[in-house]
Amino acid sequence: MVGDAPPVDRMTNSRTPVLLIAALLAPALIGLVVFRLYPIALAAGDSFFNVLRGQRVFVGFDNYIALLTDSIFWNSLWVTLWFNLLINPIQIALALGLALLYVQQFKGVTFYRILFLIPIGVSLPTAVIIWRIMLSQDGLVNGVLGIAGVPAQPWLTAQSLALYSIIAIATWKGISYWMIFIIGGLQNISPEIYDAAKVDGVKPWQQLFYITIPLLRPTLLFVLVADVSINFLLFAPIFMLTQGGPADSTNVLMYEAYKSGFIFGDMGRAMAIIVVVVAILLVIVGLQFRLLSGKGAR
Amino acid sequence: MMKTAKIAIVAGLVAGMLAGTALAQDKSLNMIVIEGGDTTAMQAVVNAYEAANPGVTINLQPYPFAQFFQVAELRLRSGDAGIDLVYVDAPLLASYASRGFLSPIDAAIDTSSLVTSALEAGKYEGAQYALPINNSAQVLFYNKALFEAAGITAPDGLTAGETATQAEVDELAETKRWTWEQVADAARKLTVQEGGRTTTYGFSVEQFGELYQLQPFGESLGTDVIGPDGYTAKGYLDSEAWTKAATFWSDLYNAWGVSPRSLGYGEGAQLFGNGQLAMFAAGTWNIPILSETDVDFGVAPYPYFEGGKVLTPTGSWYVGVNAASANQAEAMDFAAYLTTNAEGTRIWFDSLQQLPTYKPLLDEISTDASFDAFPQNVFRLGVYDSLNTAKARPVTAAYGQLQDAFRTAFVDIANGVPVADALASAVQKFESAAARVAP
Repeated sequence: MVGDAPPVDRMTNSRTPVLLIAALLAPALIGLVVFRLYPIALAAGDSFFNVLRGQRVFVGFDNYIALLTDSIFWNSLWVTLWFNLLINPIQIALALGLALLYVQQFKGVTFYRILFLIPIGVSLPTAVIIWRIMLSQDGLVNGVLGIAGVPAQPWLTAQSLALYSIIAIATWKGISYWMIFIIGGLQNISPEIYDAAKVDGVKPWQQLFYITIPLLRPTLLFVLVADVSINFLLFAPIFMLTQGGPADSTNVLMYEAYKSGFIFGDMGRAMAIIVVVVAILLVIVGLQFRLLSGKGAR
Repeated sequence: MMKTAKIAIVAGLVAGMLAGTALAQDKSLNMIVIEGGDTTAMQAVVNAYEAANPGVTINLQPYPFAQFFQVAELRLRSGDAGIDLVYVDAPLLASYASRGFLSPIDAAIDTSSLVTSALEAGKYEGAQYALPINNSAQVLFYNKALFEAAGITAPDGLTAGETATQAEVDELAETKRWTWEQVADAARKLTVQEGGRTTTYGFSVEQFGELYQLQPFGESLGTDVIGPDGYTAKGYLDSEAWTKAATFWSDLYNAWGVSPRSLGYGEGAQLFGNGQLAMFAAGTWNIPILSETDVDFGVAPYPYFEGGKVLTPTGSWYVGVNAASANQAEAMDFAAYLTTNAEGTRIWFDSLQQLPTYKPLLDEISTDASFDAFPQNVFRLGVYDSLNTAKARPVTAAYGQLQDAFRTAFVDIANGVPVADALASAVQKFESAAARVAP
C-alpha cells in the first residue's frame, strides 16, 4: 500500500497542467486586478495630487496632513467606527439566530424560510425607498406606533435617531444574506456531536456556546470579515436617506469622500479619505483573522 | 503646361471649397440640458436654428435635475469633447470658469440687448464665459379660498379676472409687499391640524433649505451670506442678521409648525395645487402648473423682513461653450442665437414662460396689452423685481461648497438642530472646504 503512493504523486507532479491552471484562474485574477487593485492604486495615486485652477499639482502627503486637523473628517471617522461597532455584532447575532431557527423542523417552517429570504431578492435602493416611505412622519411605522399611543417619531430627521434607523434598515436588508452562509456552516457540523452531547445531558445554551459556535468559527470568520467590509463601505442608504445629516450624525467616511470628490470636485481629499478607509479596513480584517482563525485551530 | 497647372489650381480650389462645405455639413453639436420643460423648449429653439442653418445638427442630451450637476461636473472635468454646449447654472459659473471648463464668449457676439445684471453674472474675473438664457423671479402664491375660510385678509396681489398695467404692478411691488412677519402671522391662523396631523399648512417655500430661495432672508436684514472675497463665512452666515433669519426659519417648522418639512422637488406645488397649502413662496414657473388646478390663487410680491431691505432671488440658466469642444465657432453661433436673437429668444420664452433677459422681450411684457391680464401680468412683477430688488447669488469658485453647507444647516434647523450650532457648523464646513479651492 505504502509503495503504491509515490508513483501517483510523481504522476501528478510531472503532469501539473500549469497552463490550464493559469488559464482557469485568469478570468478571476484579471477581474481582481482590473476591478480591485487598479482602482485602489488609482485612488492612492490621486490622493497625492490636487487640482488647482484646472492644473493637476503634486502635493505629496498634504492631503493626509490636512485630514489630521480636519474636524469634519474626525467626526466622520468617529461616526463610521460607532456605526460599525453597533451594526456588525447586531447583524451577525441576528443572522446566527435566524439560521438556528431556519434549520429547525417545525410546522410552517417553509413559510418562515420564504419570509426570511425575501429581503435578499429586493435590491438595496428599492428597499431603502420603501423604508423611507414607511419611516416618514405620516408613514406606516408611526401609524402602528400611534395605535399603541406612542407619538410620531422623526426617524430619519432627528440627530438622535437617524443613525439607528439606518442601522435597522441595513440590518433588515443584510441579515438574511449572512444567514445563508451560517446555515451552510451549521449543516457541516456532524449530527453525531449533538447526539453525544445529548447523551451527556448538555443543556441547550451549553450546546450553543460550547459546540455550535466553536464549530462555526470558520464560517463566522468569513461572515464577520465580509460583513465588516460591506458595512464600512456602506453608502447607498446614507446617500438616499440623510445625506450625512442631521447635524452630521450619519456622515460616514464613504459619504464624506463622495461629497468631497463629486460635489466639491476635491478629488485629492476624497481619495485620501478612501485610502484611510481601506487602511483601517485592512487593519481590522487582519485583527479578525488573528483573533479568530489563529487560536481557533486548536 | 500652363493650362494644366491652371486646371489643377482651379480643381484644387473647387475641391477645397467642396471639402469645406462637406465639412460644414457634417457639423453635429451636442448639448447637455435639464430634462423636462427645459429640454422641450431647447428642442424648439434647436429646430428653428437647424432650419435656418442647414448642415448643423444639435443633439440634446437631457439629464434629470437631481443628476445634472454631477454629470456636468464629471464630463467637463474629464475634458469630454463629446459636449459642445453646456447649460450652466448662474452661481456655478465661477467654479467652471476658474478651472478652465468654458471658452470665453466670442467678443463678436453683440450682447447689448441683454439685461446688464444678468450679463454681469456670466462674467468671471472680467471676462464673459456664458450668456444668460433667461432670468427667474420668486413670488408669493396664495390660496384665496383658504384665506376666506379662515377669515383673514389676503395679501394684495394679482388675481384672475383682473388686469394690471406695468405702473400698477410697480405700485403693488413698491407699497403693498407683505413682510415675513405678516406671512407668519397669517400662516399660524391658516394652519389646520386634525388628530395630531396637519391637514392644511399655512406657508411653505418651494426649495426647502436652498440658498437660491433663502438668500434674501438674511441679506435683507443687512448681512451678505459670505464675504466679498468669496471664501469667508465667519461674521456673515453666523451674523446677527442671519441668526434672526434662521430663527424665523426654525420657528416656521418647530415653534409654529406652519410649514411641511423636507419637501422634495415639485412637492410644494402639489400641496398648493391640492388646496393643502395656503401660501407658497415659489418661482413664476409654477404658474402653468397651478393654472391647471382648481385652486383660485393670487400672486403677491416676494416678502421681506420688517425694517429690512427688499431683496428678491434672481439668476437662472446660462449657456456656455465647452473649452474641450472641437466646434467652437458653431457652438458660439448657436449660443448667440439662443440668447441674443429675436427669433431664438421668442421661441424659448413662448415655450418655457420664464422671465427673459432679452431687453426687447422685457419691453414687450411691460407695454404690450397681451400682458395686461392674469396670469401674464405676473411677468410684470418679475420685470419690477429684476430691475429693482433682485440680488444675485455670491460669486465664488466655492459655490458648490457654500450651497451644500447652507442647505445642510437649514435642513438641520428645520429638523430641530439649534440655530447657533447649525450656523457655526455651516461656517466651519464652508470655510474648510472653500480654503481648498481658494487661489
